[in-house]
Amino acid sequence: MPRDPRLTIARRELAALKSEKTIVLALLIQLFVAGFSSFLVVGLVSMYDPSSVEGGSVDVAITGEGGEDVTRALDSVDGIQPVSFADADGAESRFRDGQYDALLTVTESEDGRLRIRAAVADSGVQSTLVVVRIRDGLEALERDRRAAFDDRLEFEPITLPEESSGSPYVGFTYTVLVPLLCFLPVFISGSIAVDSISEELERGTFELLRAAPVSIVDILDGKLLAAASLAPAQVALWLGLLHVNGIPIDNVPAVLGLVAAITAAIVGLGITIALLAPDRRQAQLVYSVGVLSAFVVASRLPEHPANTVAKLSVGNPTGQTWTLLAGYLVAGALALVVVRLLVGRLSVEHLGGDR
Amino acid sequence: MGLRKLLRIARWEVATATGTVDRRTVAVLIVALLAAGAGAPAITSGAGQLDAGLYTVAVDDDHPYHDAIEERSSLRIVGDADDADLVVTDDVVRVADTTTGDAAQTELRDAIRSFNNRHLRAEDDQAAAFPVLVDLVFVEQSGGAAVGGDGGGGDGVGGDGASDGGSGDGGGSAGTDGTAGDGSGDGTAGDGTTSDGGTGDGGTDAGTGDDGGSGGDTELPVPDIGFGGGGAQSGTPGAISAPFPFSSLLLAFVFVLPMNFVIQAYGSTIMDERRNRRGELLLVAPVTRTDVVGGKTLPYLGAITAITVGIAALIGGGPLSVLAVLPIGLLFLGLTFLGAMFARSYKELTFLTVSISVLVTTFVFVPAIFTDVTPIALISPLTLVVMDLDGGSVGLGEIAFAIGPSLLASGVLFGLGTGIYREEDMFTQLPVHRKALDALAAWIHRRRHIAVMTAVFIPFVFVLELLSVAILFALPLAVSLPAIMLLVAVIEEVAKSIHVYAAFEHDRFDRGMPIAIGLGLASGTGFFLAEKVTHAVQLVGLDQLEIAQAAFTPGTDVAPTIAIALFLAPLVLHCVTAAISAVGASRNGREYGVALAVAVLVHAAYNLGVIALAT
Repeated sequence: MPRDPRLTIARRELAALKSEKTIVLALLIQLFVAGFSSFLVVGLVSMYDPSSVEGGSVDVAITGEGGEDVTRALDSVDGIQPVSFADADGAESRFRDGQYDALLTVTESEDGRLRIRAAVADSGVQSTLVVVRIRDGLEALERDRRAAFDDRLEFEPITLPEESSGSPYVGFTYTVLVPLLCFLPVFISGSIAVDSISEELERGTFELLRAAPVSIVDILDGKLLAAASLAPAQVALWLGLLHVNGIPIDNVPAVLGLVAAITAAIVGLGITIALLAPDRRQAQLVYSVGVLSAFVVASRLPEHPANTVAKLSVGNPTGQTWTLLAGYLVAGALALVVVRLLVGRLSVEHLGGDR
Repeated sequence: MGLRKLLRIARWEVATATGTVDRRTVAVLIVALLAAGAGAPAITSGAGQLDAGLYTVAVDDDHPYHDAIEERSSLRIVGDADDADLVVTDDVVRVADTTTGDAAQTELRDAIRSFNNRHLRAEDDQAAAFPVLVDLVFVEQSGGAAVGGDGGGGDGVGGDGASDGGSGDGGGSAGTDGTAGDGSGDGTAGDGTTSDGGTGDGGTDAGTGDDGGSGGDTELPVPDIGFGGGGAQSGTPGAISAPFPFSSLLLAFVFVLPMNFVIQAYGSTIMDERRNRRGELLLVAPVTRTDVVGGKTLPYLGAITAITVGIAALIGGGPLSVLAVLPIGLLFLGLTFLGAMFARSYKELTFLTVSISVLVTTFVFVPAIFTDVTPIALISPLTLVVMDLDGGSVGLGEIAFAIGPSLLASGVLFGLGTGIYREEDMFTQLPVHRKALDALAAWIHRRRHIAVMTAVFIPFVFVLELLSVAILFALPLAVSLPAIMLLVAVIEEVAKSIHVYAAFEHDRFDRGMPIAIGLGLASGTGFFLAEKVTHAVQLVGLDQLEIAQAAFTPGTDVAPTIAIALFLAPLVLHCVTAAISAVGASRNGREYGVALAVAVLVHAAYNLGVIALAT
């Protein structure tokens, strides 16, 4: 029994990718992007969030009137060792010598406001740590003093809830990393589809395929199948990896469905563009500009697709999320139908190579 | 190479490139861009759009938190308390025991804080509403050898020599004030070869008072690549922040984005020459390869320049921005040219182009994030743009430091590509790595070529090593230092041997042990000399060798013979490791891999040994 020619063609497409090892390159790129993002997260967090940096405390010298208040407030904050100085010059020279990480000079105005000049040693990453710690301390001071002035205020500030003990970059993982890992493969899949078609057109090999006992629709079906199956497979791999790394992803089937639907639409778009454009250069240009602008235009939707992915993977989808997902599935299926219709109507001469 | 011929080819390239763009393409592009323009406001206005409604909170309508939560786009109020990430009751916030719950809690705290601030700003008595005002300034501390204090062992190793400042900073955050004082400050700041300043006090501040001196007396007139502080800020305590040039970074990204489109077209045009032997016509024409490559590249470089100038005018960048972005453009073009010379099909070209985009974007972007934090940021030209947009002043030395390596590297890339712009390479199908070996071997005919090529690789080595430092320096020192040592060894060993392997594969030399060793010596010497030249022009002391120098060079009482021995130790190292891998390369691919691994290990062991000695 003869095998379905579409499957044969899809398999051949994938085999070509495999033999060129380009698929390995694609995975490497994404691995790189993922590693890079998590580096950014870890790096930035360790730079900008003191709690994640271990190590000694920050030594702060404090001088000026009202300095005792400041010292008391800073004392209550972890990771800061405030020392009060009566002698401003002495504090200054000790700070200059590097004994203290920061020097706070306090002046109190008549309306009770404290003006603090915070000089921080300019020493790379260390100074960001110092700044963050001082900020925490001074915020505590601000709260204390504000509470003391409450008779002068109409609005009573709400007490802050406790600080979270968890990692502060969870939000980033779900709002940036996961959508990025979901949509990058989609973009690449579409790009492959464009290349695959332009390649055949420019080499004139469609003409050869005409002689084969398969229809043009079959050929394009095969190419579509190959390109469109790549992205969901990669995304599944990524989600698995994230899971192993302790980042739980909810609604995996829904996320994969969304990716598959959008890939179908994007690959369909790519094939259409490649068939209609005069050469590869223009096809790729139109394709990338088109996809980018589609991504921008999508922000007019009630939920951006990236937001939809984030909501699904975090486990908080709304009714709207499900409606949109259904919409994407329909749109993806529709795109396939449209592309097939279009291909069926193309004249054989168009694909002949005399272009 | 004739300028007129080159220009004629450029004109022809413009004509064909624009001639084939039909009206339909233009129309489609315009529609797409208009649509994007219409959609853009939604993206820019809804900054928090990606996390809109991401976390669920159950809260009563009359709870004080209710309004604050409602105003926060990322928090969504739900009625059902069972599934919510946060449940706010009278006094307690119950947090779901999930990662999402933690993230939601952070958001809630943030939401309440900004709610408070917004209402406080409406108060009449602002002195009571914001009773503390802070002026934040960054101040250089003087060389801290005097007090040094408790630079507890840990940071000693930091002794930035290894990677100048990069890892030193790591030490800084691990240690205490002793390091804060100087470690990173001078390590990278300026002293290039005198990076010992850093090592000096990092490593030895426990006792020897003279290390400051040793830092001083080797001082050379160097461009000061230090920063005059991250910029002053004023405001309420909540408003001051660690320096992070977020908006400038985003704007800088705008410069890089269009290049991705330009290289698409550029890659296509180079690839087109290679398919159906179209490029043969140009090859037989009375023009040189350089004319052809230059002529085909010029229009795209022009396009990048025009776009860059346009963007600069739009977002308020000055000539400095343009100057800084052009090397990035050249790097994009150089890599794409090489990629298009290697690729077997459009598909492969696409993958190469995507890889190039990702790589170059990372290279320019990651360091620029640290613009206000560390001078390492300057390895990326984009940092200059960020500084330009932030209105900082930039010295000539800084400019040279930032754009020099990229310019040199793109020059080398074009050189390699031009070397295989010939019939036997353009119209044959080979895997990318075989083509890469071709490109290398094309320039090698004698032994001295090996040395020259090793020297030519120095910009890449330089960029890659600094990039790994920039990427790794945020990690704890215990992890980053060995990792950097290993990476440095890998990068340098590959740079010293890959073209030797290529030459053997192309039978440029006889495969004999003495010849292989000779090539290894040539390569090692080339590397050593080029590295010394690099240091002489005072870019930055990068290699771990600097630790040796730092620890033992003049100033400390070392016998001259030992000093010379230490100066030459790196030469010996480079020659030995290069010879090891060259011998492997003379056999076959697998043995080359094994020999390379051995060379890397020797190199890394040497690095670690030097560090151990220095501390």
